Amino acid sequence: MTSHEHAHPHGYRQYFLTWVWLLVMTLTALAIGYFHFLPPTVKSLAIIGITLAKIFLIGSIFMHLKTERVNLVMLTFTPLLLSVILFFFTFGETMTSDPTHQIHNQSPNFVMPTGEVKEH
Amino acid sequence: MESTSLAEQERVLASDWGGGKSPFGTSWSKFMMWIFLISDALTFAGFLIAYGFMRQVAPAWPVQMEVFSPVLITFMTFVLISSSAVMAMAVSAARAGNPKDATKFLAATIFGGAIFLGCQAYEWWHFISEGATLTHNPWGVPQFAAAFFVITGFHGFHVFSGLTILAIVALRAAMGKYSADSVENAGLYWHFVDVVWVFVFAFFYLF
Repeated sequence: MTSHEHAHPHGYRQYFLTWVWLLVMTLTALAIGYFHFLPPTVKSLAIIGITLAKIFLIGSIFMHLKTERVNLVMLTFTPLLLSVILFFFTFGETMTSDPTHQIHNQSPNFVMPTGEVKEH
Repeated sequence: MESTSLAEQERVLASDWGGGKSPFGTSWSKFMMWIFLISDALTFAGFLIAYGFMRQVAPAWPVQMEVFSPVLITFMTFVLISSSAVMAMAVSAARAGNPKDATKFLAATIFGGAIFLGCQAYEWWHFISEGATLTHNPWGVPQFAAAFFVITGFHGFHVFSGLTILAIVALRAAMGKYSADSVENAGLYWHFVDVVWVFVFAFFYLF
């Protein structure tokens, strides 16, 4: 067994270092959550950046994507990329929505589904 | 087909896609696990996107860090990341043909997962005892508690399934009846549960 136990010492070390990095990034993200002096955009981008870095580490090292074929790697992240694109397609609509659920439309010829003509 | 030249047919047959080969370079079980994980990731993406939309249209959203305990959430994250790292070592040990170490690491992974699930049960109990239901909560819009229950509940159920799978794999490893592939596939699922938690931690608790 001795030869087996020493077969992957480098692997263990790499997993340990990855674990340390993940912890550092988790604590950094938590601290950023408390940094109220930061502008919200900077805060959001920092948290998203750290999250993606953590996912990258877990995916490439723990899930071995680093050593997998490019075919498999592309298969894993393209659907997620597409879902992010879909998110940004539709997210803009929530920016202009209002709690009264009235339809906003800039076209003067727009007819409401109820038949009522929208006034400008 | 007449339109395809013989040379072209031979080129396709010789390529990775010609059949009898593995274009993704994995065993069938690992490939199936990846396909499952991708579809599962899209389910969670759907939940988190729905949460983002609900939060955007809500007139006000409670400050999560004041409703939940940041110390507990950080501890849960620490436990899950640690169990993920130990799981990676279990896969390494299994690949190196060392069932004793693999069993030890798997047991540690299960221990971490059980602590995580316990913390989550405590968090749910605390949240519910403060008056949260799927449709009402004392902090603000009803979508807040609904999003919490659905997202963390779905994730918690994944942790529970992961523990079940890991327990089976660990028992088999202890009996010497395991294959390195099965440990790796269980590991992929466990790391995925960790990945989802990283997203939930960032978008549900920190944002």
